[in-house]
Amino acid sequence: MNPEPFLQLDRVIHEKGRLAIMSLLAASPELSFTELRDALAMTDGNLTTHIRTLQEAGYVSVAKSYENKRPLTTCSLTPKGRQAFAEHINLLEKIVRQNKPK
Amino acid sequence: MESNWAAENLQTIRTLMERSAIYRRALAPVSTCVGMVGIAAAVVGWQLKLETDRSFLIYWMAVSLVAISGALLLVRRQALKDHEPFWSPPTRRIVQAMFPALLVGFLGGVLEASGRSATDGPTVLSMLFVPIWSLFYGLALHSAGFFMPRGIRLFGWGFLIAGLVLSFGLAALKETIWNISPMLLMGVIFGGFHFAYGIYLYFTEPRKNEA
Repeated sequence: MNPEPFLQLDRVIHEKGRLAIMSLLAASPELSFTELRDALAMTDGNLTTHIRTLQEAGYVSVAKSYENKRPLTTCSLTPKGRQAFAEHINLLEKIVRQNKPK
Repeated sequence: MESNWAAENLQTIRTLMERSAIYRRALAPVSTCVGMVGIAAAVVGWQLKLETDRSFLIYWMAVSLVAISGALLLVRRQALKDHEPFWSPPTRRIVQAMFPALLVGFLGGVLEASGRSATDGPTVLSMLFVPIWSLFYGLALHSAGFFMPRGIRLFGWGFLIAGLVLSFGLAALKETIWNISPMLLMGVIFGGFHFAYGIYLYFTEPRKNEA
């Protein structure tokens, strides 16, 4: 078995919580902090930590604005994050293909 | 083992992506347009004195088709403008969610209209269909609300409450409420609610690409 795809997996994305955040953001132009929290059933602290990690890696951008006079935090994937996510999917598919019985 | 793990990961990603694809087309123009169609239809119907049950039911079913077509055309225009597919998974899910309640309401109207002759005078039926359609439409909106911004579910509750209040009103306030034209009630409930919600959304709906 070729171990190379495993070694190429991005550790930032690979973590379960962050992969879930990236998956949600990949399917939507942007999601609010509340939408992410509700969809993933994460605590505020946990979600903040993961988003910060993704932000530091340049995969997620965070925008702060106001909606109906209430602060609104929205997250979206950056082009770099979208590319990293696509590569991660490709690697997972490669692993599935290479382990498929012939 | 590794293959299973990777496949499970891919499946989780797919599920999350499907769940995340919330419908995000601007609803303000759609709601305002449907509202204007509803109000105009009520005024025109009232002026034309469509007083038989059959004409009332057929007229409002035709209006609903016009309103739905107009809404879909507006959604399609937005999708084309954003260089996105019109028949996207979120659009498909919303149509699927609304379809059963809308179909039952529509078929109920078709069945009743087909059972009446064109010369039959007005009965209680026209008036009864106002809360019935309001309830079914409320249920359709509430179902769609699970794939749309949260406000739609509340909007659906508006129709459900209107339908319930009207049902109780018809039973309790016979003398007063039965004197109101069902045409005008349809205009107020369907046209008025949509128009008011559309105006509300113009001021509150988040604009794209802020920040």
